[in-house]
Amino acid sequence: MTNWAEPAITSLLGAAFALADDGAHAGQAADHAGHAAHAAHVIPAAVGGASAILLVPIVTLLATIICGVLAALGNKTKLPAWISVGALAICFGAVLSVYLGFDGVPKIAYGFQWINFAWGPEGKPGHSLVADFSFYVDTLTLLWMLFVTGLAAIIALYASEYMSHDVGLGYCRFFAAFNLFVFSMACLVMGDNLLLTFLGWEGVGLCSYLLIGYFYQRKEAVAAAKKAFIINRIGDLGFILGIMSVFVAFGTLQLDPLFAMIQKGVDAGGNPIAGTWIVEVIPFLFAIGAFGKSAQIFFYVWLPDAMEGPTPVSALIHAATMVTAGVYLIARMYPIFAADEAKMALTFVAWSGAITAFWAATIEMAIFDIKRVMGYSTISQLGFMFAGLGLLTPQGAAYHTFTHAFFKATLFLGVGAVMHGFGGQLDLRRMSGVIWMKGFGLVGVAMLIGSMNLTGVPGTAGFFSKDMILAQGFSTPDSMIGGARWLGWLLLLTAGMTAYYTGRTFFRVYLGPKDFVPGNDAELIDLGRHPKGTSLEDWHAQHGHGHGHDDHASHASHASHAGHDSHGRSASDHRTATKLDFDPTTEQFDPHPPGIAMKAAIAIAMVLSVLAAIPYFMGPHGGWAAEMVNKSSASYHGPDTFNFLGITSHYAMYLISAVVGFIGLLIAAYLHGPKGWQGLFIGCRESAGVAPRADKLVGMFGPLTKAALNKYYVDEMYDAVIRTPLKVLANIFYLIDQFIVDGLVNAIGAIPKFLGKTIRPMQSGELHGYALGMAGGLAVLVLIVVLAAS
Amino acid sequence: MNTLLLGSTLAQSGFPAPMSEITLAHYLVVSAIMFTLGLIGFLTRRNLIVMFLCTELMFQASGIALIAFSRFHLLYTGQTFVIFVLTVAAAEAAMALALVVLLFRRKESLDAEAWKDMQG
Amino acid sequence: MGRGPQQSVPVFCVGRRLLRPLQREDALLHVIAPAILFTLLVSGGVGVALALPRAGRMPQVVGAATAGLAGGLLILAMTIRAGADAPNVYFYIFSAIALGAALRVITHDRPVYAALYFVLTVISTSGLFLILSAEFMAFAMIIVYAGAILITYLFVIMLATQAPEEEDVEVLADYDTTAREPIAATVAGFLLLAVMTVMMLHGTAGLQKPLPVEPNALLADMPRKVESSLRNHGMMDTGDQIAIDETTGKLMIDGVKGEIVIKMESGLTATLKRDEWPSDLRVKNVEGLGFDLLRNHPGTIEIAGVILLMAMLGAVVLSRKQVEMDEDAKAAQSRQLSERRLSDPGAAAIGRGPGGGE
Repeated sequence: MTNWAEPAITSLLGAAFALADDGAHAGQAADHAGHAAHAAHVIPAAVGGASAILLVPIVTLLATIICGVLAALGNKTKLPAWISVGALAICFGAVLSVYLGFDGVPKIAYGFQWINFAWGPEGKPGHSLVADFSFYVDTLTLLWMLFVTGLAAIIALYASEYMSHDVGLGYCRFFAAFNLFVFSMACLVMGDNLLLTFLGWEGVGLCSYLLIGYFYQRKEAVAAAKKAFIINRIGDLGFILGIMSVFVAFGTLQLDPLFAMIQKGVDAGGNPIAGTWIVEVIPFLFAIGAFGKSAQIFFYVWLPDAMEGPTPVSALIHAATMVTAGVYLIARMYPIFAADEAKMALTFVAWSGAITAFWAATIEMAIFDIKRVMGYSTISQLGFMFAGLGLLTPQGAAYHTFTHAFFKATLFLGVGAVMHGFGGQLDLRRMSGVIWMKGFGLVGVAMLIGSMNLTGVPGTAGFFSKDMILAQGFSTPDSMIGGARWLGWLLLLTAGMTAYYTGRTFFRVYLGPKDFVPGNDAELIDLGRHPKGTSLEDWHAQHGHGHGHDDHASHASHASHAGHDSHGRSASDHRTATKLDFDPTTEQFDPHPPGIAMKAAIAIAMVLSVLAAIPYFMGPHGGWAAEMVNKSSASYHGPDTFNFLGITSHYAMYLISAVVGFIGLLIAAYLHGPKGWQGLFIGCRESAGVAPRADKLVGMFGPLTKAALNKYYVDEMYDAVIRTPLKVLANIFYLIDQFIVDGLVNAIGAIPKFLGKTIRPMQSGELHGYALGMAGGLAVLVLIVVLAAS
Repeated sequence: MNTLLLGSTLAQSGFPAPMSEITLAHYLVVSAIMFTLGLIGFLTRRNLIVMFLCTELMFQASGIALIAFSRFHLLYTGQTFVIFVLTVAAAEAAMALALVVLLFRRKESLDAEAWKDMQG
Repeated sequence: MGRGPQQSVPVFCVGRRLLRPLQREDALLHVIAPAILFTLLVSGGVGVALALPRAGRMPQVVGAATAGLAGGLLILAMTIRAGADAPNVYFYIFSAIALGAALRVITHDRPVYAALYFVLTVISTSGLFLILSAEFMAFAMIIVYAGAILITYLFVIMLATQAPEEEDVEVLADYDTTAREPIAATVAGFLLLAVMTVMMLHGTAGLQKPLPVEPNALLADMPRKVESSLRNHGMMDTGDQIAIDETTGKLMIDGVKGEIVIKMESGLTATLKRDEWPSDLRVKNVEGLGFDLLRNHPGTIEIAGVILLMAMLGAVVLSRKQVEMDEDAKAAQSRQLSERRLSDPGAAAIGRGPGGGE
């Protein structure tokens, strides 16, 4: 792909404008090794030519509206799901067609005029605000949109079955929010100006809130939704300030002119920006915004709680797409990050990413809830991506995002299938040997492939992408990113820990003797419908027995699912179904394997996650993804000086990371692996709950493990440090409001009363009262006259 | 202090010796105190007749003040005016008492507060 | 008076403001120290408030004593400050009786006693008038006030007392025994008193001593009196006459200069100087008052006459109004009110005549 593209680009550049570092750009294509780091030129956009991309927002918005209408009409079928899948497939097709026809020059697809103000003298910078609904299409956006729309379509298919127990109002609501999410993500990724990006930013936050809180009857779900939204908001403050600063400095919010100005190194007034607050402060602000959305250190606490939402939501939003918005933002704004000679913001980003990765990995090694393990793993991998951005390899970060999306989605879909099938059971101490159970083979294989990607087993996509970042961690000199070497070692250690916890999960849950304890939902036939944690009585109370709830109408659609019974019947009615999952009389529970749609989705995702490795080889030095990044504004070539035992960077890192990963896997197998070949011949676990060596180790580490299990009490600390003082402050203000403000108002209201009370005696009819008034008045009058006269 | 005999205050030539301001001040203070007592009595007592009695007390006080000034300025104007004050006081007392009798006939009570229902 | 104008005056703020103009002349300090004044006023007020009719007997006594003490100290303070300018001793006697009786008027719960104390007040006030050389007013006051007005009051009191029941003990009506809002009234009254006294004392300091008026100017209008006096004392013989001035045609009695020119039978004129005049040849208070009244205020006399006429007519008209109640109803009502009075003293005060009105 690069063979014909690059000469075309250079000629275009030479023809379009003359720039200072022409020579460096021309030399870049030829030689990478030992090269000094610099940013590539940003190519000015051409208007028009990619209008097919506009199908994405139009179709998703339409799908949202249709789902909303269906909800209003009281639709009880799976129609919303098929509409969503169809719409998202169309979107993917549109993106694909634009990609195939793309020539490397960024295009602007114009939608409609949205904001267009001008004030003050013409032509002066900072006196007009133009923010149109138009999309800026370049290789970076296409990279993102490809996996976003693709995964969205796959997961919609998965969700069509996963959420099928909720057909009716809930179903329509789910898919409406789902489509709205994809619309917002499109606005975010493809927005031509920062304001549209922000619109999408807030939109994905909103949809995340709606979808996490999907089971709104559960207190925990509602709390988690609020937490996610609020913490995103805190980060958004940084983003908003960044947008405003950009406007103040550059006078425009549109990406094209912005990049041109940054390219020339000047701001709106023509003054050089190097060394000013513009390049030192603005990147920080954007970084904070990214942290909030992408669950970096201090901001990550919402992501584990977001696992309260249904699994498709977790798979799409909190693994693959929304959380990568932060990565995208920094990649998009990379020119301004790189414009800072000291690269302070990038250092900040790198350190935060590495610390996040390490922190989350340590927590994960103790957590038992496999969905939360996946959540923390997402946080950890996002840390890797941020570290990659900070360590001057946006290519590595972008590619890791790409591969991570696919294999994390696979992992989540598999976990969802397990949860769906075992009555909501998620504790890895209560399951074992799932891969050998009937119907779960595909799930197991998918989990295996996903775990291999996550671990970084050589040959997998995850291996290559992680390797790019790790290699840069040892290549970037400390002079450019302070402490880069430390970060490299930290990331390596984290990679080993990643291997360990992934292996722990896989060895415990999927391998070994078949053994399980059903989850809390086991008493109910409709598993996955009844949210984990609600008691049986509550659930029956909500849905009742035999009254016209929308669940009953969905019986017809259940015919395809063997073993499903109508819900809402009391336990004694369970016997009448053809096949029971849970027979209360015998207390035997059969796990419920996933159906066709879920299996199809899992399979597709699994295959894609395997295939995601291929682009790595489709071009020098990072492959297709790197090329995509290099042709966009995010292009930056970090130094390439890593050398290990004479082998140059990437090949050396292949070796090292492979070794580290393997060590991690071995430790996992030793501690958690089952006996026999499944545990690589070093395990000793015989049942689901007991892993003797692991338990002994836990005993040795004692308080540390407990702390990790309790997420290092970060939530509690936030509660004490932030929430409690705020509550106290709020109570104080409430008291002030009640006593002072209300008191003032009441006092004003009491004035007429008081006046009345004092004046009323004037009409009392009592002679002496009148006389007293006269005498007193006389006395006062005389006093006043005397005082006035003196 | 002056001599004790009443007659010595009267000089041979007719009018007595001029009075000093301090002495005048003494008389005025007495008059003021009596006026105040009358005022307080009027405001305080509920018996209609006693109320009017206190107004008469106030008249007395004003009379003292007027006479004292007359003595001070060695003019007859003050005393003339007291005559008229006396006249008016007598007329007023007659009318007031007639009204009090009428009021008493209505309510069989001399309480001023009995007429509270004439409020407004 | 050893204190100079620079002395700082430790008084209440009001007093300070009041005293601002005085500081130029230090007038009030001639009479009394302001601190003492205000303190005594306040204590006097407290005393009076206590002394007013109330439930207990003891507070009244204490109050009266306090008020009396305060008044006395006030006068005493003024006297001490006055030094040589202090008034006659009779002033003190009469004013003490007057103020004491006045206090008793307002604090005694029986109306008859109040009226009688008022008579005492009138008598002592007359005494004050006497000291002030207003003899006519003194006696006129006694005759008119004590002799006429107060008698009328006593009659009305007797008329207006409710018929007592069989028991001999006269029960006092509640409206007599309880004062109404004593504190508010006392405060208002004493506030007024404070202002009045300060202004009075201030004002008197600014008064100029009157020019000595020769009072015997009026002798010129009383030739017959002059003649009779001169004849009685043998300074004029039968045939003598008072000379008449040729140019003006007036009698030559000059009270101002102190000369009376007598034209003797023989035609010689003799001038009598003031020190030769008989001792009783002077204008008396009544004469002077009479001349002043008729000469300077004739219209007022007429108006006063009219006022008295109207009062008389009005009293006659008013007293003719009858409240038409037959005897039985009256007796029943009075009995009813007495019962109510006995059982609930408060309710008795508010009675309404059945079917009353004209």
